[in-house]
Formats: sequence, structure tokens, C-alpha cells
Amino acid sequence: MEPILLKNINTPDSHKVDVYLKNNGYQALASALKMQPDGVIQMVKDSGLRGRGGAGFSTGLKWSFIPKDPTIPKYLCCNADEGEPGTFKDRVIIEKDPHQLIEGMIITCYAIGAKTAYIYIRGEFAFGTKRLEQAIKEAYEKGYLGKNILGSNFDCDIHIHRGFGAYICGEETALLESIEGLRGRPRIKPPFPAIAGLYAKPTVINNVETLSCISHIVNKGPKWFSSIGPEKSPGPKLFGVSGHVNKPGMYELPMGTTAREIIYNHAGGIRNGKKLKAFIPGGVSAPMLVEKDLDTPMDFDSLAAKGTMLGSGGIIVMDETACIVKVAMRTMAFFRHESCGKCTPCREGIDWTYKVLHRLEKGEGKEGDVELLEKLCGNIFGRTFCPLGDGAVMALRGALKNFRDEFVEHVKNKGCIV
Amino acid sequence: MATVKINGKEITVEDGTLILDAARQAGFEIPTFCYQARLSRLGSCRMCIIEIGGQKKLQPSCVTPVMHGMEVFTENETVKSARASMLEFLLANHPLDCPTCDKGGECELQDFVFKSGPRRSPFSESKRRFHDKDKILSPVIIKNHNRCIHCERCVRICDEVVGRTALGSIGRGAKIMETSFMDSTLDCDHCGNCIEVCPVGSWMSLPYRYKARTWDLKEIDTVCPYCATGCQFTIGARNNEIVRVKSKITTGINKETLCARGRFGYNFIQSEKRLKKPLLKKNGKLVESSWDEAISFIKQRFGAGKKTAGIASARHTNEELFVFQKLIRDVFKTNNIDLDSRFANKWVTSSAIEVLNLAAGGISIFDALKAEVIFVIGSAISNENPITDYLIRQTAVDRRKTLILAHPRRFKLNSSANISLRYKPGTEGEVIKGITDFIEKGVFHGNVVGDISQVGEKFKNAKNITMFLGADILRLDNGTNVVAEIVALKGLLKKAGKNIIIQPLFDRCNQRGARAMGIHPLFLPGLKKVKENGMDCGEILDAAKKGEIDSLYILGEDIVSMYPDAKFAKDALSNIKFKVVQDTFLTETAKTADVVIPGASYAEKDGTFTNQEGRVQRLRKVISPVGNSKDDLDILCSIGGFAYKSAKEVFDDIKKEVLGYKDINFDALDGNGALVKGHGAENQGSRVKGQGASEIASASPRNDTSSNPYLDEYPFLLITGNHLFHSGRLSQNDDVLIKLLAEPFVEISEEDAKELGLTDKENVKVKSSEYEAVLKLRVVKGSQKGVAFMPENFDSVSVNQFYKKGQGIARVKIEKQV
Repeated sequence: MEPILLKNINTPDSHKVDVYLKNNGYQALASALKMQPDGVIQMVKDSGLRGRGGAGFSTGLKWSFIPKDPTIPKYLCCNADEGEPGTFKDRVIIEKDPHQLIEGMIITCYAIGAKTAYIYIRGEFAFGTKRLEQAIKEAYEKGYLGKNILGSNFDCDIHIHRGFGAYICGEETALLESIEGLRGRPRIKPPFPAIAGLYAKPTVINNVETLSCISHIVNKGPKWFSSIGPEKSPGPKLFGVSGHVNKPGMYELPMGTTAREIIYNHAGGIRNGKKLKAFIPGGVSAPMLVEKDLDTPMDFDSLAAKGTMLGSGGIIVMDETACIVKVAMRTMAFFRHESCGKCTPCREGIDWTYKVLHRLEKGEGKEGDVELLEKLCGNIFGRTFCPLGDGAVMALRGALKNFRDEFVEHVKNKGCIV
Repeated sequence: MATVKINGKEITVEDGTLILDAARQAGFEIPTFCYQARLSRLGSCRMCIIEIGGQKKLQPSCVTPVMHGMEVFTENETVKSARASMLEFLLANHPLDCPTCDKGGECELQDFVFKSGPRRSPFSESKRRFHDKDKILSPVIIKNHNRCIHCERCVRICDEVVGRTALGSIGRGAKIMETSFMDSTLDCDHCGNCIEVCPVGSWMSLPYRYKARTWDLKEIDTVCPYCATGCQFTIGARNNEIVRVKSKITTGINKETLCARGRFGYNFIQSEKRLKKPLLKKNGKLVESSWDEAISFIKQRFGAGKKTAGIASARHTNEELFVFQKLIRDVFKTNNIDLDSRFANKWVTSSAIEVLNLAAGGISIFDALKAEVIFVIGSAISNENPITDYLIRQTAVDRRKTLILAHPRRFKLNSSANISLRYKPGTEGEVIKGITDFIEKGVFHGNVVGDISQVGEKFKNAKNITMFLGADILRLDNGTNVVAEIVALKGLLKKAGKNIIIQPLFDRCNQRGARAMGIHPLFLPGLKKVKENGMDCGEILDAAKKGEIDSLYILGEDIVSMYPDAKFAKDALSNIKFKVVQDTFLTETAKTADVVIPGASYAEKDGTFTNQEGRVQRLRKVISPVGNSKDDLDILCSIGGFAYKSAKEVFDDIKKEVLGYKDINFDALDGNGALVKGHGAENQGSRVKGQGASEIASASPRNDTSSNPYLDEYPFLLITGNHLFHSGRLSQNDDVLIKLLAEPFVEISEEDAKELGLTDKENVKVKSSEYEAVLKLRVVKGSQKGVAFMPENFDSVSVNQFYKKGQGIARVKIEKQV
């Protein structure tokens, strides 16, 4: 497949507006502004675009929930708080092709009737922030942002809000709290952001990759977009492959490409001629899969059927030298560190599972520890305030389901045998 | 309405009711930690998760509203095991040091674990430990982070109810701590509500620490003796010693909240400085005597000569004050009886009584707060009536309501106010007149900082308006003008068909009750008019100065320290031939007395207080009076020869004379008290009813010096009042409250400080024509320019020494201390 989202990234100075314009940039904006906002929403609905942040909710449908009343201020928030371990897709777009995102955002604002948009960018993306700031400045200079954009009477401003290092701020309501200057932690839903989001006003929150698709849908039409990949989750998808492969990197492929093709054809197979032990399909929250699952198409529905998820599309590959207990421990260390501490099961439960795993890994495991881990997973799952706790449990359950023996061995042998 | 099935039981509730509330209505108990009805919804502790038919995940019942046709299970195995697992999580890192924890015995975590928790924990890791030694965060608050279960009630009550926002969460995940900014020493209201709401022993009271186990305490519900908000609280005593005050979520208008005074101000009761024996003046010196000697001395000497008078403090119970006025009126045959009441003259106080309509029945503050416009004037309410401040703050969250605060000083509640007005003290009348004029004519005059037209608009557009009238107005010598303006405004609004409630804000617990008991030179019990007007406090002192008063009975009032012009008060008192002072401490006034008799504190006697709403509440005896002191009622009865054996018997007599109290059953008074009804004295032709405002103004003698307050030499107008941590001169004897604020200070606006080149916390010289002193400066942003404030609570610099008699509001200058 011809690259779509990544088509510009190898052009020199791809982040500059002149280069972007040379490659037909901001044409989608011009044509979108000639349409009715509802028409743009319908177009995105027809394209079948599903959110690339992880949940895979229909983007057009999300937009259509925003009340049409023009007297109510509305907001668009771009979720650029890319913090899921194994994920680095948004970073590429932000650093290499920021105008693609900005154009998508302006069109989205026009569609939902928002005049103000925020980009909530991960604090560690210092370089990305600079690039975005520069790009936004250029967009203002060229008249794509600000008052009366391209003579259409439509005004739009984009602000950048840098995060401060909390993974939880990638959860949409925590992100809103953070923009409002509050402690970043999730809100009670309902009300959903579409009704009361940022500053209690209707708000759309979309991922960087999702918003980057918009200009292409407008340019080439929803039919073209939905013809790529499977019918129920169409479009191009960025797969970031990391871990024990020969060619780790960012690959843009149609949705539904099999894991085998991505890992072996594109990422060059397992390094040093080793065997594949396991792979995580979509960031560490997604339960891991094993070799027999390699032919699963990488799309929302096929992976869900396998009990895991596409998530962010960040594939982490592990060869036979990986100790799954250690992987689980590291994963839980991450979630333990990132739990906001608000709700009991996540705060106490994840800390507890980490401590048990740590013990196992150190060779101090006890009889019954595996059962304890399973019980703790059950006590956390579905009872936490937000999906962070669920994500942690899913990751651990994935490891326990596929490699239970390895955990038991750790107890028996007082340590790792890999 | 929505009909839901809870554990098979059908119940119909309002739409939007939380599942938790619906279940509780249906009689099913659901344990909660983070949920509290008055606080914002958090949904974090997950104790209340329940199963909803058709939903895979368990849902938190404290944030999920019912839906019609919903089927809820709160007691099936899934829910029970989930609940147990939450407790298991909470206990995992909980230190389980219950044997040394002050909360043991009344700990919610302990209770829930006993009820539905696991008996054994599979947790075998080392527990999280933040510190070994507990952190002392204030002179009254100590924190143990290890025990915290992170329900964040403390954070929310501090933010949403108290309005201080002194607490927050630090860190995240398992390292989260709910504490002050960076765990530093608190600079807050020290109200201890964080301690009260804490379900475990994480927040603790420092004075109560390790004093008792909860089950050893004798706990008695009573009412707070400081301001007139009238909070209910529970005193815990052990071995005849009071060790703590706490409040209950079920009782009183305060419902679990208190201020620093109420919660920690019980230590004066056991102060070493308490009077424990009667004192008689012999050869110019006060020496200890026996009760018999003191009483017979009083009986022999008091009332001899022509003129007798009595001055009482509004800190006494209705029963004591009723008997006191009986003593003065029936035994000594005079109407010369008054309250201290910030020493307003009788015309001011009587007109205030009329405009506040104290003769009518009480109005619940919750009804008063239902109005769309709430207007507060003449009270630094956050300091004077802290719990009324909390209640108003919670109401003002409603965006449909407008809160207007008018006061020279900026204080805490201003951050919740929609409109703040600033004015020079003494010009309260102009503020009210401005509003009236705006409504009537669309124009107004006056020297007010703030948008009066906006206030006028709000008044115009509202259907229900509540005005809170503070005690500052009583301090003004032109108070009658203010009252006249209020009457005019009230009349105008009434004519426009609006519902007006005027509520008083008093600084002494039983000010309203005292007036109803007839502690006034113009009113008998039940606010019936006297036949022959008596002298008010100022007139008594004037007469004394001329040598015309022969005997004076002072019940619990410190005139020398409080009367505006200390020197004059002292001189006047020295001219009285025979003075009896009945008090708990040897006050400056008591030192001048011929006989000093030791009375009892609020925890040592029975009776009733009537708060500012008109709510009669029971004061209950917890311990016997210290040393050889006695119940005030017994003392008054033995001097007057009355046969009352208990407060209840007096109350029965009160019911006969004060009609509003007729239906109140003394024994049945519970945690909510009872609102008084009308005294039947409303229509006896009082001067306000049915007459124009101008008539009141002209009917009363005026001494209006404050209309030209801008003197060059002394540019500041000095106002005074209670500090948040203190009340009158009583609290300076409390060794805990004195730790919170030990020294008086002078407070001025930031504008003035800049002009004078002064900075916060530096020492300045405060000088009036009468007195000068060096004080610490406090600078407040947003206060009225040209106004200085000093708390009236300290003997060390007694604020009344700055005053000159007849001046109303003192004038001072403030200079850099060199």
C-alpha cells in the first residue's frame, strides 16, 4: 500500500508549511469549508473511520453527539499524550508532518462547530512541541488559523497544552481535568465529554492519528477510505513494531494486515534467528498473543475476538529469551507507577500484584502465589474507576493465560529458568 | 419518578436519585467511605459497588442514578465478595495499629471489616510506610499518613464546605497522600473538620491524642457556647475531665462541622485561672471567702440606696437570664437592665429587635437560604459565625443564586460571593439607601466601592430575598439610621410583592434568647413593652460616673475590657458603691468588684440557648462545676430567694411569660432543637410597625459623629470584632485557642499598606487620641481603604482603650515602628 499518513515524512523539511502545501496541503480544508458542517460529519461517518487511540469508537458518530446549538461554546481536544509503552505513532506525525494534524483539527472544529482546540501533548515530547508550535505559527501566518479562515467566516484557534508526565492524562476525562489546571485524574461518566467536557462544555477528544486521517478522507472521499482494509474497521493504520525484531520501526499498512506479515515481512522477522515467544498487539495494556495467533488480522474486531485488542497498534515482540514473569513484573511496575491513586482496587491492587511478581522474579515465590495473582486480577477487573486498572489486569491476565506454567516454575525453582 | 427493584423489593423514588440513597430508603445498608451527601461525588472507594441487572460490571451506587425499571442487587454473593475484596485491599497497607489509634472503637474501617470484611489477609508483603512519627501539622491537628484510606473527605470538606482549600493530594498511585501543601505546617482555619470527617485515624486531634479510649468516654450532646449560630456538638469527658468535643452528622444545623473555637475551645473549662471560690473585697483587696458569707453579704448590701442596675452577658442560658431579670425587676424593682450587646444604646437595640422581628417566630436558616438573593451586611461572617459561613458557601454553589457581601473587610466568604461591596464603617445606612434609591429611582449616591446598581438589579429580579444583618450595626451610634434604611428597603421590596426574610447574625450564643427573656431596659420577657423605661448599659455607666448608681450586678460581662472607652468605664465603675460580679474568670471588671462569685461554664450546667434563627437548643451538664464554683442558676436563686430547683422548672415559668416558648418541651429538645413561635408581642404598637423610617430616626437620639469620619490626624477608622479563633475575652483563657493566635494584630488594606510603605507582619505603632500600642500588621488585599481592624479578644492590647466615649468608631493612625 502507498503510504498515506506517512507519505511526506521522508521529504526534506516535511514539517514546514511550504513543503506541506507543495504536497497538496490544506486543500482538504478549503473544500471542507465549502461544505456544510453536517456534510463533513456525514463524510467521516461514511468513511467508517474508527478512533485510533485504542477504543475504536466511530469518529463520525462521536462528532454527531455534539449539540448543534451555536450559542454553546464547544471544544476539540487532540489527545497527543502518547504514553502507552510500545507506542510511538503520534510522535512521528507530530514531528514530521504536524500540518497534517493541524489541517485535520481545523476541519474537525468546523464540523463540530468548535472555535477553540487544544493539543494535549505529552510533556516528554519537547521536540514535538517545538515543531507543533512552529507549525501552528505558520498556519496562523498563512491564514489557516485565526479569524475568518480562507474567507469562510469561520474562526479557529489552536492551543498547545503540555502534559506533565502522567500516563493517566491520556484518559480523555483526566486529560480535560489537566487542561483545566486540575489534578489529572478521570471524571465520573456520565456526563460524557460530548455533553459536558472541557469547562463543562461539549467537547470532542480525538487521537492524533484519527485527526490526521481527516484531510485524506475529505480529499479522496469516504469510499476510497473505506475500501482500505476490512469493512468494519477500514483505513490505513500505523503499526509501531518494537522488541526482538530485525527492523523495529513504524509501518503504515491497511487495517487487518496479519501480525505475521507485519512482524516477518515488514519488520524483518525475529532477530538473531530466534523463535517468537509472544507478542503484544497494541501497547502493554493489550493481552499478549503467542505464535499460533500470528495469522490474526490486526483490526479492532478480529483482535477483540481473540480476547485482546488493537489498542494503539504498538506491537511489542518477544523472542524465546524473554522471561514472561519479568515482562509481567515490568508491566505492572509501569501501571503501579502510573495509577493515579484515586480508586481503591487500582491503587492497592496493582501495588499488591507488583509486590507478588517482584517476589516471584527474585525467586522468593510461595505456594499459592499464582492463584493469588489470579484472585487479585479478579478483584481489580471491572471495579476500578477508569480503564487504567482494567488495562493492567488484562496485561497480567494475558501473561498468566498463555504462560501459567512459567509462573508456576518460578515458584517451584525459586527463580527463572529461561 | 422511577420505580426500581432493589433486592426484590420495589421502591419508587424521584428521578435522578442515587442508587445508594434509593437502597437506603428501601432499608438496605450499603457501606461507603468516600461518599458524603454534602460533598461532591467522587466514587473512588468502590465500597458501594452493586450489581445492576443486565450489566456485566458492578457499578458504584454512590454516583449512579436509578433508572426506571432497574433491578439492583446489593446483597448477593458477587456484591458481598466484591465488598470484602475492597476491604482486603484497604487493609493490605493499613498499619492495623488499632490498639494505639485514637480512632479505635469508632473507626469506620474497623466497623466495616467487623461486619463484612475478610478475617484473614493473604497479603504477606511489607506494608507501605510513609513515616515513623506522626506529623504535627498544626497546634491542633496531627496526621498519620500510614492509616489513610484516601477517601478524600478531608480534601473536599476543606474545599467545598470550609472554603479554605488547605488540603490536597500529593503524589499518585500507592504513594498518594492527602495533606497540606508539600506536607507543611497548616496555615488554615484549624477547624478540625478534616479530623471529624476522617473515617479512620489518619487525621487526629492533637489535644485529644492518647487522652482516652472512645468507649471510656462519657459523651453528652450539647450546644456550642461561642457564636449564635448554635452548633450542636458532643462533649466527651473522662473522670470528670473534658477531653474532646466532636460533632455528629445527624444533629444540629452544623451536621458534623464545627469551627476552631467550638471544637478546640473547651480547655478554658479546666483552666487553672478559673475562679473556684467566692471573693470579697476586704481593705481594698479581694480575698477568698465562703459561699455563705458571700451570699449573705450580697443580700445585706445589694439594692441598698436609691438606684440599682444589672448588666448581663448573652453567654448565659435563657433560664439564668430569666431569673436574673426577675431578680433585678421583681426583687430590686428596676428596669435598669441590659445586655452588653456591643454597647449600643437602647434605641438602636430596640429598633434592631423590631426590624429583625425577634418577637415573631424563628425562621430556619435552611428556609432563609432558599432565597435567590442572599445579602449579608455588617458581619465579617467567616470570622464571627463560621458555620453560617459554611452553610452560605454550600448554598452559593448554586449558580441560580446571588450572594452579596457588604463589609469593609475582605474575608473568606468573599471568594464565594457574586458581588462584594466595600464601605466605610458607619455608612451601612448609605449602602442600604443606595440600593433603595436605585430600585426606586434608578440613581443612587454614596461612597461605596462596588456595583450597587448590580445589587439593585438582583434585588429587583428576585422573588425571595434574605438579608443577614450582622452585629456590627449594633456597634454604631447611628445604628437607628441603618435600621431605618433597612425598614425603608424592606417596605419597598414588600410592596413589590417580594418575600423578605431578615435574619440576625449575632456574636454571642444567646443574644436572641436574652432579649426574649427581657434583658433589655425597654422590654419585659416576651418582648412586651415596659411601663417605665429603664437605663441601658451606657446610661447606667453615665449615671455611675455621676455617682448616681448605688449597686450594680454584673452577670458574666467584662465591661472594663469591652466598653468603648476603657478609661471611662473604669472610672464609672469605681463610683458605684457596691458591685457584684458573677463570672468564671477574674476579669478586669471582676477585679473592681466588691464581691466576685464563681459561676459555671457551659459544660457544667443545664439550660437552653436560643440561637440567631430562634432555635431553642438544650445545654446539658457534663461535669460538675470546678472547685467550689456553682451553677449560675443556683447562685441567682439563692440571692433572689427563688424556689427553682432546676433549669426545667425555670423553663416552665418562661413558657408562661414568653409565648413563643409555650409549645416547647424542655425534656424533648433533641439534636435539632425547636424553633420559637411568635411571642404575641408583635402587634403592641411598636415604633417600627406601620410607621415611616424617618419616624424611627427622629424618635431616637442621635449622636452622629461618624458622618464626618475623615479626620486628617487619625486617618483610619478602627473597627473590631472576634477573630476566627477567639470569642470575647473568654477564649484567651483557653490554652489551645491561644496557641492558634496568641497576640492581637492590626489589619489594613493592601492599598493603605502600600501608601504607608508598610509590609505584612511588620510591627507598627497604632495610635489614637487615647492610647497607643505596637502591634503586628496584617495586610489584606481587597479590604476597604482607610479601615483598620483589631480583634477584641486580648487583654494584652485591649482594643477599647483606643476609643473615646461617644465616638462610636475609633480613629487611629498607623505608623512604621522605628
